Amino acid sequence: MSQSPLDQPAVKGHNTLETDVLIIGGGVTGAGIMRDLALRGLHTLLIDKRDLCAGASGGNHGLLHSGGRYVSNDRHSAIECRIENEILKRLAPQCVEQTGGLFVAVEGDDLEFAEKFPQFCAAAGISCTEIGPNEALRMEPLLSEKLVKAYLVPDATVDPFRLALENVAHARLLNDSIYRPHTEIIDFRIDNGKITAAICRDNRTGVMFNIQARQYVNAGGAWAMNIAQKAGCTDVNLLYSKGTLLVSHDRMAGHVINRLRPPADGDILVPGGTVSVLGTTSVHTDNLETVRPTVAEIDRNVMEGAAMIPALATARYIRAFSRVRPLLQSSPGEDGRAATRGFALLDHTSQGLTNFCTITGGKLTTFRLMAEKTADLVARRLGNTQACTTDSVALPDGDACRWTEPGAAPRYWYKANNADDMILCECEMVPQSAIDEIVKCAPGAEAEMTLEAIALRSRAGKGPCQGSFCGIRIASYLYDRGYYRDTTGLTHMRDFFNERFKGMRTVIWGRQAAQMELAEALHCGLLGLDNLDSDCPEMAILP
Amino acid sequence: MKEETRHFETELAVVGSGLAGCAASIFALNRKIKIAQVGNTGAVAYTTGYLDLLGAVEESSKAVENPWDGLELLKKSHPDHPLSHIPAQDIAEGFRQFTTFLGESGIAYTGPQETNITALTPAGTLKKTLCVPATMAAGPQAFAAQRPCVIIDFHGLKGFSAREVVANLRHKWPQLTAARVDFPDMEKGEIYPEVMARALEVAATRTRLAELLREAAGEIKTIGLPALLGMHTPDLVRSELERLTGLTIFEIPTMPPSVPGIRLREMFEQVFPQKGITLIPQQKITALSFAPDRAQLNLRDNYGPIVIHAKAVILATGRFLSGGLEAHITGITEPLLDLPVHQPPSRTDWYREQYTDRQGHLIHKAGIEIDASCRPLGKNGTPYHERLFAAGIILAHQDWIRGRSGAGIAIATAYKAVQAAEDLLHARI
Amino acid sequence: MSDKKIPTINFKEKAIELLPEGASFDACLTCGLCSSGCPASGIENMDPRKFIRMAMLGMNEELSTTPWVWCCTQCRRCQHVCPMNIDISQLVFIARGNWPQEAKPAGIVRSCQLIRSTDSTSAMGLPPDDFIFVVEDVLQEVRETQPAFKNLQAPMDKKGAHFFVNQNSREPMNEPDEMVPLWKIFDMVGADWTYSSKGWAAENFCMFSGDEEAWYEVIKTRVDAVNALGCKVWLNTECGHSYYTMWNAINRFGMEADFQLESLITYYARWIREGKLPVNSDWNTNNITFTVQDPCMIVRKAYGDAIAEDMRFVVKSLVGEENFIDMQPNRSANYCCGGGGGFLQAGMTEHRRTYGKRKFDQIAATGAAYVLTPCHNCHSQMEDIGHHYGGNYGVVHFWTLICLSLGILGENERTYLGPDLLALID
Repeated sequence: MSQSPLDQPAVKGHNTLETDVLIIGGGVTGAGIMRDLALRGLHTLLIDKRDLCAGASGGNHGLLHSGGRYVSNDRHSAIECRIENEILKRLAPQCVEQTGGLFVAVEGDDLEFAEKFPQFCAAAGISCTEIGPNEALRMEPLLSEKLVKAYLVPDATVDPFRLALENVAHARLLNDSIYRPHTEIIDFRIDNGKITAAICRDNRTGVMFNIQARQYVNAGGAWAMNIAQKAGCTDVNLLYSKGTLLVSHDRMAGHVINRLRPPADGDILVPGGTVSVLGTTSVHTDNLETVRPTVAEIDRNVMEGAAMIPALATARYIRAFSRVRPLLQSSPGEDGRAATRGFALLDHTSQGLTNFCTITGGKLTTFRLMAEKTADLVARRLGNTQACTTDSVALPDGDACRWTEPGAAPRYWYKANNADDMILCECEMVPQSAIDEIVKCAPGAEAEMTLEAIALRSRAGKGPCQGSFCGIRIASYLYDRGYYRDTTGLTHMRDFFNERFKGMRTVIWGRQAAQMELAEALHCGLLGLDNLDSDCPEMAILP
Repeated sequence: MKEETRHFETELAVVGSGLAGCAASIFALNRKIKIAQVGNTGAVAYTTGYLDLLGAVEESSKAVENPWDGLELLKKSHPDHPLSHIPAQDIAEGFRQFTTFLGESGIAYTGPQETNITALTPAGTLKKTLCVPATMAAGPQAFAAQRPCVIIDFHGLKGFSAREVVANLRHKWPQLTAARVDFPDMEKGEIYPEVMARALEVAATRTRLAELLREAAGEIKTIGLPALLGMHTPDLVRSELERLTGLTIFEIPTMPPSVPGIRLREMFEQVFPQKGITLIPQQKITALSFAPDRAQLNLRDNYGPIVIHAKAVILATGRFLSGGLEAHITGITEPLLDLPVHQPPSRTDWYREQYTDRQGHLIHKAGIEIDASCRPLGKNGTPYHERLFAAGIILAHQDWIRGRSGAGIAIATAYKAVQAAEDLLHARI
Repeated sequence: MSDKKIPTINFKEKAIELLPEGASFDACLTCGLCSSGCPASGIENMDPRKFIRMAMLGMNEELSTTPWVWCCTQCRRCQHVCPMNIDISQLVFIARGNWPQEAKPAGIVRSCQLIRSTDSTSAMGLPPDDFIFVVEDVLQEVRETQPAFKNLQAPMDKKGAHFFVNQNSREPMNEPDEMVPLWKIFDMVGADWTYSSKGWAAENFCMFSGDEEAWYEVIKTRVDAVNALGCKVWLNTECGHSYYTMWNAINRFGMEADFQLESLITYYARWIREGKLPVNSDWNTNNITFTVQDPCMIVRKAYGDAIAEDMRFVVKSLVGEENFIDMQPNRSANYCCGGGGGFLQAGMTEHRRTYGKRKFDQIAATGAAYVLTPCHNCHSQMEDIGHHYGGNYGVVHFWTLICLSLGILGENERTYLGPDLLALID
């Protein structure tokens, strides 16, 4: 790190980048398309106006559906899930934890529905084994004593961040495909039924530049409709469903636990490495940019979740998040839960474009399939005849991504047994060496690296203190290493704490209230991060 | 085996061992009141050592130059604020008594002055405070005088980077540079400031460090170090290092776990019993009850149950961090007596959308309300009990974090609560 | 240590079982006060906060196998300084117990085995008959050589005696004359006391080995011995853990004990206050300075500051208030010396001395010529780190100084006195 990346201009000396395929949207789908095309020998540039998994890809349970969830109302999706579940377990085991899943009914739940569940599963080819309530309680001691029915299904969990990171890393390895975060589509230049350039802005620097590609893929998720409209396409019709989820301080169950009833609020608890994720509520929204959890949604999740697992009522939560899921609008007036979980690939030929397509809808579990269909179309249009291989080629277990796995950092650190490699994030035990590695070589590191970006690429800030201590320590470390040389580190710290806070705001009670009181006293009372741009010249620390 | 209950009789029981509780004990000592103090470790160990009175205007974070003028403005803008009910001369007297006591107990402080001091932080930002430990005083002076200065950090000390302090402060203090040294005999791995501070209580360590500091300072005559200059005799450690190096030396507070807070805690635990206070540290009381003629506190330590009878009680249990208030999904409560807590109508209103919003968060304004004699109000709006008083940041209508007023509220309200308790004790012992 | 596989414990589950609600690991703010204040921080790259976080992160295998659990002396200082009152020492106890016997530090295991090998419960395996013989032999010699004590008593198995007095094995085994000062003190105050041929020893490494069953058995032998003699008070000698293991076990296992547990320190203080031990500091004409080491096992982990105050009262009475310098921190906040928890017996010398550096600095900062401590492990450890780090202090028992002050310290009872003190006697 002899030269700070901050000193480098966003695009050195050029205002146009070239590639075979521009993919817009750094969710798992975009990342999946990137790798799929790279495997077929096509060079891609993936951009995201924020960073990897900033949308629905990063804002879900991390559940690798067995399909059980959809057996009663969407058998097609259920079957897709089952098939993709098996592929991912086989080809990307490093991103998957084979937890198994339980569907449980408690007193008062619709028993008729519960009784029919095995038949539904059978129809979708999903393995489903009934176990007695006592057996279920033995497996998961925190389950309610009022348990009446329990079925075991092959649910699993998947780390979407790692999945996206490794897809991107593999694409880069295969043919130098490029990922560029904080890059937003402003407009398209269209000529003769073809997009000739995408006009982009680097959201960190404000610098505008062009990307010229032969094919343009809109994998914008919930933003896909807006992106399509920029290209003049009006055939993408999405329904936005806001989901809100909570993260508990520690892992409360080994299995995925689903409430055995038609999908409703607060009915899934998914382990995520060292924590559990409870959700979700579902409300219709028109707002894409500023979705945040509300207290009412949190309370609803906790109350409903506690019916399955009473300890959820008193658990310590460290975080909540909301993301907008794009659902395909097939008939007007549908509500969010009833709308299809399927996906759609639009080739936009009806809109007069031949090198643009949109992929949207779907779910984390089926991202690979979505990528395959999209890449098939793109490859065909480019005359590339290579078949998709993502259902047979294993996803390499990349070193650059190893820091995102919960509990992995401390294992590497513990094994290395190097007293000088100090732990910077004490909660998740992320050492200096991890930060070095991320700053140096993680996907996206080519551009400016912020504390948020480091947190995205590691477990830093994911524990009980939610970055309130490690944000300070990591910033200090980066100053030490000469990465920061001016007040940028302070603004990064402030922005990082503000960002983490968004996730905490609605779950600050109990222990977390103590944690936050200490954090704020430190950040604002001592360091004055609430007053960096003070109007008092003596105190203003930003020049 | 029988467990024996230990009984203590006292005039005043102070519940809480944070700044407010300790200030209350000091003021009561000065008034010759017999005291028992209980409370767990508390947040005092997290303090920087700076004693803020009023460093910023609540709801705007605007820095306050002159806290005494600030208090006058506060009275108009925040008539409910605990500091708005206490005469400035009492607050000043409280600060004087408090800092005098600290000085006599081995941790010298600057006394309360006419204006705030512009003090340094570990991130190289600045903050307004009223009194600072003598070990830190030369920093603000060097900054004000723009003297050439080297900030020195240590290999293995996390969260304190001299380069960070310099990078952020350099445009205000061009003559600032950074250097790093290896702490003697601790060249490998991580070291805590506490460990270094204790090692510097040993003369031999000071001698070895002094050599390294002199080398690091080069031609420059003033150096700033993270706060680790001794634990028990910081003023001696600093003056010895100054003598050995011929330099002017000051400390900058570090992030928790930081030495100045531990210094204060250990000093209180050391000195209070010597002064005749019945101090039961590290234990929270489990019950507080009132009879017409006395209050009863129940607690237990490793050895068994303890009962304290007192004529008056000062509740100084702090907020969420110390357990004086509890935040539940359904609302905020005061767990010991279930006192009514003034609070926002819904959890939705606890926090604003933006964490560093200058206006601060309403959750911090929650707390218990008191009458003119510092008596907490019960459910019917009258004092909960005539023998119960309250002090410190448990009180409602203040935001000690954004107002940079934690110590001020602790010291001022403790001063007033002790006054009120003394009135009661004198009136009817 | 052998490479026999150590089974894996689920620490998070154990923490939920063991720790009280509100003080469990999920209350941790990760502030680091525990690690900042722990002398074992950094050893084996571990510290208390890492222990908690590793437990929460499910690093059960690493925690189950880390040798750090043998370097943590379970002194509970981490809990003492924790604002959330979180206790990891119980988890360390479980981790220790989980190691296969062959893998545990041999010194601790052997000591526990020896304790259980005879009715003496002596960690040095001294059988009852030998103990009786040594006591009688030494008593005989004192009666013969020290005219002032020609009627000195050292009762054995005396039914109905008020005090049941225990005895560290180190004295009858290695330095029998060191028993004499205490006998003289009892003689002087007219105490009604007895040794017991059973359960007399004052060590319990079974607790340190994490072997709960063995711990129980040892304490059972001792409790039975006291009950059998019908004594009112089990009076613990100058030893830390022998008190704690007895007191804690009686509560932990709900044992029937028809007697009080008391510490000799409490009685020293009481006898001095009552004038039964007319000590003074007039002898200390050269103003030799002393400090005192608070054993974790009787101060922080048991009696709290009350006994620490008694200890200071005794020391000041003995050496003069102006010649007493307290270590910082002290009393309940004192640092473990690093000799406890079986560390001295565990064979991890380098780690033990690293741990002890903090204690050495504390002592060095006082500049005192002597450290007084009523604990044999503290005593040995402080001597060792004193030699290792080039300290210039001595370590003495209370009984030695009491008898010195009273002018009744026999010639063979001066092992721990340096030339400065010896010079003052004659």
